[in-house]
Amino acid sequence: MILIFGGAYQGKLEYALKNFGLDESDVYHCEEKGTLDLSHKVIYGLERFVLGCVREGKEAKDLLLEYGEALEDKIIIVTDISQGVVPIDPELRSWREMTGRAMLYLGSKAEKTIRIFCGLGQEIKC
Amino acid sequence: MNIFISGGCKNGKSYYAQELARDMSREKSLPLYYLATMIPCDEEDRARIRRHLSERDGWGFETVEQGRNICDALGGFTLSGSKVSPEGVFLLDSVTALLSNEMFLPDGTVDGNAGERLAKELREFADRTGNTVFVSDYIYSDAQLFDEYTENYRKSLALIDRTLAAVCDQVIEVSYGFKYLYK
Repeated sequence: MILIFGGAYQGKLEYALKNFGLDESDVYHCEEKGTLDLSHKVIYGLERFVLGCVREGKEAKDLLLEYGEALEDKIIIVTDISQGVVPIDPELRSWREMTGRAMLYLGSKAEKTIRIFCGLGQEIKC
Repeated sequence: MNIFISGGCKNGKSYYAQELARDMSREKSLPLYYLATMIPCDEEDRARIRRHLSERDGWGFETVEQGRNICDALGGFTLSGSKVSPEGVFLLDSVTALLSNEMFLPDGTVDGNAGERLAKELREFADRTGNTVFVSDYIYSDAQLFDEYTENYRKSLALIDRTLAAVCDQVIEVSYGFKYLYK
């Protein structure tokens, strides 16, 4: 598994497609619901899946654990939402924390973790 | 050499950028310009500008006030009245302020396309000068759902950042004294 994260609009998906020789047909765009479609190589916008989990009262990390080996060959792309002001809205607060727990788990499982900054990648685990 | 610097707020980016610009101008014996991007609208702004001016005192910067249409600075004049040489070293601090000026206009209207236009202008500025240090702000890791104006502002600034990061010779992230060189 390869984990790619970075702030909003940093060019994360573009980086992944370019560097791993993929195109749009390889991408599953996450929806705001607590299930993932595992039929594509790239799982993009995992934070939206986490928001779905929050709304459905599920723990994203536990679901990812259940998917287990099915995630091993995936490239998972997440927007880092951990560094701003703590949101007043409880739902957004849970979202922020649950995304952090999910990313910690994915970071521990990934063979490679890349952080994207202004379109450029930094391999922080390789 | 064009350099792009970004990172979180109050991280030491500006000070580091000043050092890089000054060193570049000394090495190459080129004039050193500070592009002042803030357009003051009240006494608080004017006080901030005075503080910034005194902080740069003794560094050798000539101040060029240019809050909009940044490429016009290359045919303009410094605060002390001398002509700006495009061959000089420029410190542009910050891209963020420039985008605010271009997007949120004094008459209260909003130019939603300011980001694309400014990205082009700044690429041109980098091409024409070749020795500019650009400073931006990394404002992309909030867990908020913003209103459309704020969201468009973030998206536009990110477009500018990615454009500059692609064309600059060096890209540096500053976080509290720690500097990461992306290229």
